[in-house]
Amino acid sequence: MRKNIKLILVVPLIVVATGCASLGVEPWERDLLARDEMSLNSTPIDSSLDDHIYFSKEASSGGKGFGGGGCGCN
Amino acid sequence: MKHKNINTNIKAALTLATAALLGTSNVSQAETDSNSGVEENTWEFDSAFLFYSEADRVSAGEAIFNAKKTFVGDEVLNLKLTIDALTGASANGAVAQPTVQTFTRPSGNGQYTVTAGDTPLDDTFQDTRVQLNAQWTQAIAPNYTANGGVHISKEYDYLSLGVNGNLAFDFDRKNSTISAGFSYFQDTFTPEGGLPQALSSMLIGDSNSATWDDDFANTRIGADDTKTTTEVLLGFTQVINRRMITQFNYSYATVDGYLTDPFKVISVVDGVSGLTQDNIYESRPDSRVKQSLYAQALYHFDSTVLDVSYRYMWDDWKIDSHTIDTRFRIPLGDAFGTQSYLQPHFRFYQQSAAEFYQPFLIDGAALPTYASADYRIGEMSTFTVGLKYGLLVNNGHDLSFRLEYYRQAPTDAGFEAPGALKELDLYPTIDAIIAQVTYSF
Amino acid sequence: MNTGRSIQLVKNKDSYGITFTAMASPCEVIIQTSDKQLATTLGNTLATEVWRIEDKYSRYNQHSICSAINNNATKPVTIDEETYLLLNFAEQCYQLSDGLFDISSGVLRKVWSFHGNKSRYDDFPIEEQVNDALACVGWQKIHFDQKQITLAKGMEIDFGGIGKEYAVDRAIILAKQLTDSPVLVNLGGDLAVTCARGNNEPWQVAIEHPDNTDNNHTDMIISLNSGALATSGDARRFLIHEGKRYSHILNAKTGWPINEAPRSITVVAPQCIQAGILATLALLQGAHAEQFLEQQDIKFWARR
Repeated sequence: MRKNIKLILVVPLIVVATGCASLGVEPWERDLLARDEMSLNSTPIDSSLDDHIYFSKEASSGGKGFGGGGCGCN
Repeated sequence: MKHKNINTNIKAALTLATAALLGTSNVSQAETDSNSGVEENTWEFDSAFLFYSEADRVSAGEAIFNAKKTFVGDEVLNLKLTIDALTGASANGAVAQPTVQTFTRPSGNGQYTVTAGDTPLDDTFQDTRVQLNAQWTQAIAPNYTANGGVHISKEYDYLSLGVNGNLAFDFDRKNSTISAGFSYFQDTFTPEGGLPQALSSMLIGDSNSATWDDDFANTRIGADDTKTTTEVLLGFTQVINRRMITQFNYSYATVDGYLTDPFKVISVVDGVSGLTQDNIYESRPDSRVKQSLYAQALYHFDSTVLDVSYRYMWDDWKIDSHTIDTRFRIPLGDAFGTQSYLQPHFRFYQQSAAEFYQPFLIDGAALPTYASADYRIGEMSTFTVGLKYGLLVNNGHDLSFRLEYYRQAPTDAGFEAPGALKELDLYPTIDAIIAQVTYSF
Repeated sequence: MNTGRSIQLVKNKDSYGITFTAMASPCEVIIQTSDKQLATTLGNTLATEVWRIEDKYSRYNQHSICSAINNNATKPVTIDEETYLLLNFAEQCYQLSDGLFDISSGVLRKVWSFHGNKSRYDDFPIEEQVNDALACVGWQKIHFDQKQITLAKGMEIDFGGIGKEYAVDRAIILAKQLTDSPVLVNLGGDLAVTCARGNNEPWQVAIEHPDNTDNNHTDMIISLNSGALATSGDARRFLIHEGKRYSHILNAKTGWPINEAPRSITVVAPQCIQAGILATLALLQGAHAEQFLEQQDIKFWARR
């Protein structure tokens, strides 16, 4: 017998909060959000290399994370 | 349907039948026997090498080795080693002239000349840096995650020590996160040749003369100085829907101490001819308060992912800047050995000048307290275009290549150039290539 | 059937997902680990095992043992131990269901075609056609032992009702041999886990309503700490004749659809193949499906 159901796997049990019904997803809707490429800093190595370049070439730094000091390049 | 014999314990009978089919009783035996088959290895490693090269100016190589271990309780330890080496020429701040110019090296050991018409570059830049970071992340209570880290970076003439900490709180089914963090850096600068007296004239002359060393020492105020950076970062992350997540940050940073660049000078030119009369060491305030707002959104289309961010930064030096950074990830193949993606990258940055930025000073005018001709705090726009290609190689490891083109275009913020300076390029653009290889295993 | 077989590895925040296609279904293996090497090894091993079972028991594959048996009705066909164990299991299901569950009932498909609303009036079989087909059904007419099997003339067997669940259980056995990390195996909706996730948190499995084509709508969440889950029934496969809805669940004894069966039943059991059989046996009880499961003290969800 064929089955035709769809399954979505989700991360650990989450307390269902009230309010804000229009924003956010239920735990089982996190299939796409759980992917690496959907994390806010998906390529930390690239970010730290870029931060170093732009920190030493431009007057602004940080914003996403700590801008900090860290090198004598500026 | 009629169903007789409903009292037959079908469940028990099936359990027996299943055990016969799957050898379930033997399986638990096999379980303990074969655990040694594959050793669990929860260390993850990333390695990257980046090459940065500006046309006719500096080249830099930077290598990163990152090791991350996730423990049983989901605590994460991240260790990062960064090594970079820089060599080449860097603008010393002086303006180009229609004649050959001579400058003294920052160390006081010798001089260098710059061809007529060329932007003065100091070609003695050479440095090697080693940096170590350690970061620890763990849950401290339901929905609360804390992390803390230490930083040490050492170059020949520079030492930076830092600590940071961050606390995040998740709510609304982990759809929302607020976080607060702080960081503190203490940097010590010990440039070879010491620190120059702000706004004093660069000594030019015969560096072999008997009085040279004493004369040079007279332009110096000490061997080293420090700078501290304290930053507070507040963040808010919100999941919008199944495909979209956003982040908003506010940052407040104060930097105190020696913020001047001891290698940079500013030309003092004749108000009529535009010819350089003197080169004096630059002078910057000893504090700076920077603030920034940052917004980022990630959107997952059917297969592609768009990552867009915007940053607005402003400070009490009257610099404000806008940065737009966007990446678009396009998956290519799906066969196991060839799973790959392309990721175009575009970044645009624009800043206004610091209030004390001046490309040159006019001879005879009152000397300002602060002055810098460093193009990096002048009016400027830059852009970066790049392409990254990543693939999952056969054993499941990520390999990626990135090639980018970066252009810095300083612009004239309305400074009237006298005489000869009209004919010279005071705001040369700088073209750079960034190439990177990353391998994760 | 080896063409186009591939595995995709996706890294999630605290786990790796390995997806592939087998038995005409989307399949996935999830392992809660940060060890990519382990995830890759596991994904390859498990997919290979599932494909092996598919190749061996698919009635659509001309080179399968299933086809060999079906194409040589009346003649003895040599079988190996695994096939014997599966046939033995099928026999016990036949006995337990009092003949309602019969892996030789597949020939009834020749007279029944279930395509939902698209079924035309003239597709509906007449009694004579059903009786002709029914003559080729009947597990009791099959003879098998540890070495060989012999079908009666015109008969066919079909491992479709147990093959996928069996593959899930086999994959779980292999996963447990490879790693102590929590693993979930999901073959087109039939799934099992090796153990609870880290910190003893359950796997959360969301089941979409079969009627619902809107991907975002899910209305059933099951927390699974251990064991397996299987679903029988398919709301999209039915036919309507003279205003009456006929489910695609056929009574192997009469050759006619079971009346008043739930549209689908999901059952939890220690092994996937148990869960699958229990769900199917329940559907075969028609109107008494829920009662059947309740009496057996089985955890289930039914949709009507």
